Amino acid sequence: MNTIKNLIILSIVLFAGNVSAQQISSAELQVTGLTCSMCSQATEKSLKTLDFIGAITPDLNKNLFAITFKKDKAVNIDQIRKKVEDAGFSIGNLTAVFNFNNTKVDDQGLAVAGTNVYQFLNAKSQTLNGAVKASVVDKNFISGSSFKKKAAQVKSASYADGSGLVNGKKTRIYHLSI
Amino acid sequence: MRLLKLLLIPIAIAMGTTAQSQELYVFSEPASNMPAKSIGIRLTNEGVFNPKFATRTIPEMMIGFNKNLMIHVQGFFSDMDGNYKAEGASLYGKYRFLSVDDVKRHFRAAAFARISSSSRPTYTEDINLEGDNSGLQGGLIFTQLLHKLALSATLSYSKAFERDSKRLTGMPKPDQMLGYSLSSGYLVLPFVYKNYNQPNLNLYFEVLGKTNPENGRSYLDLAPAVQVVLNSRTRIDLGYRFEVAGNMANRYTKNMYLARVEFNFFSVLK
Repeated sequence: MNTIKNLIILSIVLFAGNVSAQQISSAELQVTGLTCSMCSQATEKSLKTLDFIGAITPDLNKNLFAITFKKDKAVNIDQIRKKVEDAGFSIGNLTAVFNFNNTKVDDQGLAVAGTNVYQFLNAKSQTLNGAVKASVVDKNFISGSSFKKKAAQVKSASYADGSGLVNGKKTRIYHLSI
Repeated sequence: MRLLKLLLIPIAIAMGTTAQSQELYVFSEPASNMPAKSIGIRLTNEGVFNPKFATRTIPEMMIGFNKNLMIHVQGFFSDMDGNYKAEGASLYGKYRFLSVDDVKRHFRAAAFARISSSSRPTYTEDINLEGDNSGLQGGLIFTQLLHKLALSATLSYSKAFERDSKRLTGMPKPDQMLGYSLSSGYLVLPFVYKNYNQPNLNLYFEVLGKTNPENGRSYLDLAPAVQVVLNSRTRIDLGYRFEVAGNMANRYTKNMYLARVEFNFFSVLK
């Protein structure tokens, strides 16, 4: 089964071809576990240490951060989570704009775009082009209780720990909901 | 019974309010840590009026190593035994081992330990490892944030390591002490946030107690405090703790005021 999957992924990688360096252009981040502006400021300062973050606009009442990413830098989604956790808080929701360029989603919902591998929970057997808004629903990108609920529903084997074998290599797989 | 009643007061206040607060407690520490790779500098001045007016100044540095581990380093200077002089130092470490976050709420639990030295002579069974005694302390903190209200409970055990030569003649020797506290805080202002530069006003009400496990002698303090946070990074505290019940002779920190300023430098460490 794995071999077939790998072959499919390999073909996707070959087909996907040219993808621009900037795949994720902006994101809206809901941070949980805080109320006060000092906590928000600590979170923003922590996020700003990432070199791919362009601008951050906070909504201090809703603890939302609208982030735009630098065009010439690759966005590391896990680093965003780490920086929020470093500040002492958690991600409740991360919805980002992904810019796809002829990205094939296979019949299992798996897609490779640039260096990132995505598992779509509600899309399969299609080709994605242009800007697509999707939420990252991996562990620690949604509340603990939401993750438990989703883990019970989602059939994908890679969901529990956010990784799976791609081309025979253990690879980070981000789970997306469009 | 009276003790129980007093412990329930902050909870009652908390429930009767429509969510206002914070957890930057003035007389205790929350289970939450400061952000990783950040530094905080504090200057605290505290003082008592009896038997004579005497004050202590505590410069303090706080470092957040990672999201779960932070330390405080404190120095103690006071004129409690005559001339104003350096009297000791303390190292405090806190490890957050539980964190459950949701929108505008969290529950956290942390363990802490402290090691302290002080050159002050001893004259009471009370133990205060923030300036008056040498010894070790360990404890647990549980903090619940509910939108603008934050509640916290602390339990601790302190063991004094004092030389007999420091003890004033005829006075009891400090040995061990149980500590417990309940703290509540409310974020009063701003009502609606516009930006980071708005001053925040927090009100605190804490119940602080200690018991000598050997003889049951105890005391219980009420400690109201007001706090202003400027530019989302500078904090000013003003508080007063007063004893409402107790039978421990010559105890420390009785009817004491506390004034503090704290500066935070977020994400400055590599």
